[in-house]
Amino acid sequence: MTFLSALLAADAAPAAAKAAAGAAPVAPATNPAETIIQLFGSFGVDGPHLLIQLINFSILAFILYRFAIKPALGQMEERNRLIEKGLADAQAATQRLADAQKASDAKLNAASDEAAKMLADARNAAKAAVEAAKAEATAAQTEVIAKAKAAIEADRVKMMNEVRGEVSRLVVETAAKVLEQNLDDATRGRLNEAAVKQLAR
Amino acid sequence: MSAASVRAEAKRLLALSLEAGVVSSELVGAVLAALEKSRSAHQLRPLLRAYLTNVRRELARGEARIEHAGPLSSAEADAIAAHFSKSLGRTIRPVTRRNDALLAGFRVRVADDVTDLTASLRLANLAKSLS
Repeated sequence: MTFLSALLAADAAPAAAKAAAGAAPVAPATNPAETIIQLFGSFGVDGPHLLIQLINFSILAFILYRFAIKPALGQMEERNRLIEKGLADAQAATQRLADAQKASDAKLNAASDEAAKMLADARNAAKAAVEAAKAEATAAQTEVIAKAKAAIEADRVKMMNEVRGEVSRLVVETAAKVLEQNLDDATRGRLNEAAVKQLAR
Repeated sequence: MSAASVRAEAKRLLALSLEAGVVSSELVGAVLAALEKSRSAHQLRPLLRAYLTNVRRELARGEARIEHAGPLSSAEADAIAAHFSKSLGRTIRPVTRRNDALLAGFRVRVADDVTDLTASLRLANLAKSLS
């Protein structure tokens, strides 16, 4: 038997007990329920009083629940919801902050990469410009040297020709003068005779 | 008279002045006498100039102008003229002139042809080849 069934059974037990008390001395109870009821009764627990208290307590509990606990629970739930929402928002904000930080880092990395690329391009362009300028200067230098060599060679050839011509002219003039001084008429006559023979051939 | 007609007339007069292909002084005198009678002075001057040029050219065609250095005997001059007479097919007579600037040898000119066998020409050729 449960405790509640024992309580229900106890509602009828006092009347019977009072009736029996006037008639005969109280006999020891043999039923366990009656034993429990007697035990509670000996501690001052009255069944109807207990029922009334239970009803009062239920009404009080209902009123408390309806007008105090439920609104308090609602407020607590609202607060919990707000807190959760705040936490969620904070987490979302943290996530957004992390995302923003990540995006910022990515942009910084991209900017850094782009800056490095631009710097490398600028260095390459500068290097290429320097190489081109060097090549151009080398080509110009080579051309100038070649022209100078050609001019020197032309001057040398011209000078050699002039010297050769001058030497030849001097040699011939000297030979002519020597011949003119040394040829006598007899020699010239022999030469004329030889020329006549040459003409006749 | 136009220049062409003057040249043609001078050519005709030259033909009248030749005797056996050689300019004859008698015929030239006869031509000049005839011209003096038949032509006026202003017509005669260009014609005589052209006639003179033709006569000189014809005389040069029959002459071997020999420039020589040193002595050149008449036999050698005749031999030179004979050579040119033979090669040109007409009578060529020698005309000699001494020029020691040629050093040695001789130079012969017949009309427009020149044959140079002088030492000065050889020296000039030598100088040209050396320079």
